[in-house]
Amino acid sequence: MNLLDIRNLSIELKTTDGNIRAVDRVSLTMKEGEVRGLVGESGSGKSLLAQAIIGVLDERWIVHADRFHWRNQDLMLLTPEQRKNIITKDVAMIFQEPSSCLDPIKTVGKQLEEAVADQQLSGFFWQRKQQRKTEVVQLLHKVGIKNHEQCYHSYPYQLTEAFCQRVMIAIALAKKPILLIADEPTAAMESKNQGQIFRLLASLNQLKHMSILLISHDLENVTHWTQTITVMYSGQFVEAGTTEQIFAHPFHPYTQALLDSSPNANILISAKAKLTALSGSIPLLKHLPIGCRLGPRCPRAQKECVIAPKTQNFHGHQVNCHYSLKDEH
Amino acid sequence: MASLLQVENISKTYTDKNYWFNHRSKTVLQPLTFELNAYQTLAIVGEIGSGKSTLAKLLVGAESPSTGCIKLNGQTLDNGNFKQRCQHIRMIFQDSGTTLNPNLTIQQLLTEPLELNTQLTVDQQTVLIQHTLQQVGLLAEHMNFYPHMFSGGQKQRISLARAIILQPQVIILDEALASLDPSLRAQMINLLLDLQQQMGLAYVLISHNLGIVRHLSDDMLVLENGRVVEYGKTSQILTKPTHYYTQKLIINQHLQLFKK
Repeated sequence: MNLLDIRNLSIELKTTDGNIRAVDRVSLTMKEGEVRGLVGESGSGKSLLAQAIIGVLDERWIVHADRFHWRNQDLMLLTPEQRKNIITKDVAMIFQEPSSCLDPIKTVGKQLEEAVADQQLSGFFWQRKQQRKTEVVQLLHKVGIKNHEQCYHSYPYQLTEAFCQRVMIAIALAKKPILLIADEPTAAMESKNQGQIFRLLASLNQLKHMSILLISHDLENVTHWTQTITVMYSGQFVEAGTTEQIFAHPFHPYTQALLDSSPNANILISAKAKLTALSGSIPLLKHLPIGCRLGPRCPRAQKECVIAPKTQNFHGHQVNCHYSLKDEH
Repeated sequence: MASLLQVENISKTYTDKNYWFNHRSKTVLQPLTFELNAYQTLAIVGEIGSGKSTLAKLLVGAESPSTGCIKLNGQTLDNGNFKQRCQHIRMIFQDSGTTLNPNLTIQQLLTEPLELNTQLTVDQQTVLIQHTLQQVGLLAEHMNFYPHMFSGGQKQRISLARAIILQPQVIILDEALASLDPSLRAQMINLLLDLQQQMGLAYVLISHNLGIVRHLSDDMLVLENGRVVEYGKTSQILTKPTHYYTQKLIINQHLQLFKK
């Protein structure tokens, strides 16, 4: 069963010069128990998409979609209040730079206690405090913090970035979510800590059967941990498929370029050789090209690319390109 | 023939002067020795607190070493003599956006090192700035722009322009590629390789991304808690790491993951 089913979601920003389409017809499906990577460079709208899913965009943004289903329930038809109830119960999100997301003037324990809802506790009011504390300690154990007493009484500035991220994950786990959206959870972390956080997320996925949407700007970082990947560029959908499909046979010139430009993925090319890189840079929201937004940078661009391509599906491998690389492989 | 950059037994110890009688001190860098030639790149790999940034600071002269000396072309670099060092050893930081003064245009930014270190006239300075901007893949007209008008990748190019404008011999890249997007990072790597070929630059690359280290560097130095655990050819270390710490680093990064 599809947990999340989004078709042609667009997000527009209201400005005085008319609306700017920051996210343009993006589709995303997530099955239960799936780890999906959402990859795109900065300004590709991946964080906007995540914010649209949990519904925290303010009134400056207009969200519309052909289909926006959460467990076969159309979220677009619900009132904001009903929608909030569903989302807060089932979806949790963690952010990049965890130390800046935590409240600097409260201890970690107090912040964790806030996340534990009253409904989760059974017992009389005088037992609540103790129960809440046990719950918090259990949460800390779940995310691999053994020394819970010290962590409970620490302020965020006393903990390292990786520990703060663990606390963030613990807060997210308090409601026992079905879907966890991780927005660049390991940005500005070292490889050792990155590995720890990713292993923690992977074990949560395995043991608790929790689906994870892993957002990252770097394709090479997430591939080891994901089963399926969606690639975005400048607010447009590029390609989606299983990790093997994306890696072995990328159909879109952009995905191909991403793979070619990564020294990690090209272990066979000799050191100090030139990497193939796309020329130019990511377009700004103010100056978006019409049609396929990769057009001006794309090595395969032709006249037709000024019209936005339709998504084609080859055995679950979706690609959004007029001149895909499908026949080249 | 002597190497371009020779570092001999350099170490750094911080002492806390608040304790008069029992000086508390912390050694962040144990004595280490390495050499670097023109056209070569040395990568420094390690975790936070391993002393790699301290080493970079010692090389540019932002900190003075506790023991040992740094020689450039056989000549010892003095600690106070910034004129000598600024010309030859330059540094690029991770977050290039914050190192550019937002109040100055690119021309003013790039004039600063020229005025302090050279006797060029204003016209000559302008010509040199235009030439350098073209060298890093920007346009000559960009010199009238302010830093906020550029994207992250372009800002990194400007700080590279600021580094190469004095025709240095050594450039230190302190995580300079970490915060860039993948497609821009590939452009930047190509640009760095080009400049190395054209100007004979030597790079000291500080990075935790082993893919980039493998691609860019000739030699490699692995630091753990201020101690050198491995030093040698990059290709050798990455294929046959002898030290446990290096093996762990390599496993963590899944360097072998994408064998096609």
